[in-house]
Amino acid sequence: MDAFEVLLESSADAHGHLCPGQVVGVRMAMLGCRLIGLNEPRRHDQIKKLIVYVEMDRCTADAVAHVTGVKLGRRSLKFMDYGIMAATFVNLESGKAFRVVSTEEARSLAAAYAPAIAEKHPQQLAAYKRMPDSVLFRVQQVKVKIDDCDLPGPTRFKAPCTRCGQVVRDQREVIEKGQVLCRPCTQETYFSDAREVTWPDMNWVPGKNNNQSKSDGNAEKMSGGDKPRPYFCQ
Amino acid sequence: MLKKIKLEDAVGTRLAHDLTEIRPGQFKGAAFHKGHTVCNEDLCRLQKMGKNHLYVIDLKDDEIHEDQAAAILADALAGDGIVWRDEPREGKIKLLAGKDGLFGVDTAALAAFNMNDEVMCATLHNHTLVKKGEQVAATRAIPLIMKRTPIERAAAIARQNGNVLSVNSLRKAKVGLVITGNEVYNGLIEDRFGPILTEKIEALGSEVTAVAFAPDDAERIRTAIRSHLDQGCDLLMLSGGMSVDPDDVTRQGIRSAGAAEMHYGAAVLPGAMFLVAYVGNVPLLGVPACGLFHRITVLDLVLPRILTGEKIGKAELAFMGHGGLCKDCEECSYPHCPFGK
Repeated sequence: MDAFEVLLESSADAHGHLCPGQVVGVRMAMLGCRLIGLNEPRRHDQIKKLIVYVEMDRCTADAVAHVTGVKLGRRSLKFMDYGIMAATFVNLESGKAFRVVSTEEARSLAAAYAPAIAEKHPQQLAAYKRMPDSVLFRVQQVKVKIDDCDLPGPTRFKAPCTRCGQVVRDQREVIEKGQVLCRPCTQETYFSDAREVTWPDMNWVPGKNNNQSKSDGNAEKMSGGDKPRPYFCQ
Repeated sequence: MLKKIKLEDAVGTRLAHDLTEIRPGQFKGAAFHKGHTVCNEDLCRLQKMGKNHLYVIDLKDDEIHEDQAAAILADALAGDGIVWRDEPREGKIKLLAGKDGLFGVDTAALAAFNMNDEVMCATLHNHTLVKKGEQVAATRAIPLIMKRTPIERAAAIARQNGNVLSVNSLRKAKVGLVITGNEVYNGLIEDRFGPILTEKIEALGSEVTAVAFAPDDAERIRTAIRSHLDQGCDLLMLSGGMSVDPDDVTRQGIRSAGAAEMHYGAAVLPGAMFLVAYVGNVPLLGVPACGLFHRITVLDLVLPRILTGEKIGKAELAFMGHGGLCKDCEECSYPHCPFGK
């Protein structure tokens, strides 16, 4: 693993800014990986052994993901929406798992560790660099049971929705009165009032001269070559 | 964990903690000490003390008694020059100065340590001069029985930088004095700075090995400084010429003597026009005239620290601001007052 300062710089680059959360996240990831014995998590032989659960969608989560190389799409990054500054690092090979929790005390102690800095964020940033891990974090050894349907690798489970036909992967279907349903059909969705639409340039494919409109893609505009048609198929 | 048992079942068990008895106006103290084996004769007295139940300790593998905890904490807190004996009293262990010197506290680490619910450590102020054997701190675990992990975590925090608490010896410096000012140099008035500074220096175990007088002339001051350095002085103190008067040229003299680093002005009253400079590794302290009138000034705060080898720079002088105001009491009780704390 690279040195802390190197990781912090690249993490801040990837995240978009340097902030106290980046410092905490980089250190959290370094500690977590050390605890589970994966010191080069991004290296090919280790990348498939690591799963990380982040418990917040804040700056710290990006730093943890950056340092460890875990990704949502690889199923190595799991987001648990607890609103807690914590992440759990799991070594799939050894089964060892440690939950690293950022302490609230660290916030209170920022002034003691960086007394010469008056502004809140720069003070936290400097202080979180200076604090030892023992002050910055609490660690729990935990057991994490990962279901087969949550593991990385090829899709092993597929089920079509009995109402709309949508294929649901990884056992995310819902069984209602013995019927397999996708989430949208159960109405337990983050969206509402869904209706299918058409859009301009809907025959666009990458790499071909599709006579694409130079407009900003606004759905109000029609594409140049196509025949006029209704905006929406009702 | 602690198990509660009825008094009548307690015969033959050992007390988990001291039992305090208070007889108004007569006695307050431990009637029974921890570890005492309860016998039949004790039952009556215990009942009179209002005890119908007693605690018996039943330690689990991951649990720890307050006395063991205190020893772990004391060991972690004690840095260089700190000694302690594994003789907890009411769960508390005293930490003592193992030698004469300046007591030092890493205040950030101490705060981080005390942020743990189960532990505490109280200390004297940072930068207090102490004698060998003097108590400088005490630590204890708060509960009688607790989990081992929080204690180990607190101990890890205490060990973070090696020296949360320490006592550092003062070196025996060979001090060269440069007394500046035309009025003294020309014999118009008698020098009073020399004796005052010498007394302070000797009180800290160092000695004055050279004294030079210089008029308000930067070149002559430079020569005096270089001469002291050539004679092997490893700490220089210059008096006078520190203010903003046109005749005050001591700073020019110090700079031309080769001071690479110079910090003029300290957040302390008396002593705002104090100066710390370094020629190579030799510290050079410029003492303003307030040192003649006030018994205790910024010099008394800085000199012991300099003698432990601490590098005093801009930040150190700035941080003295908090507590750096002398109340100028009619009867000075320094160091038993807030000045410099």
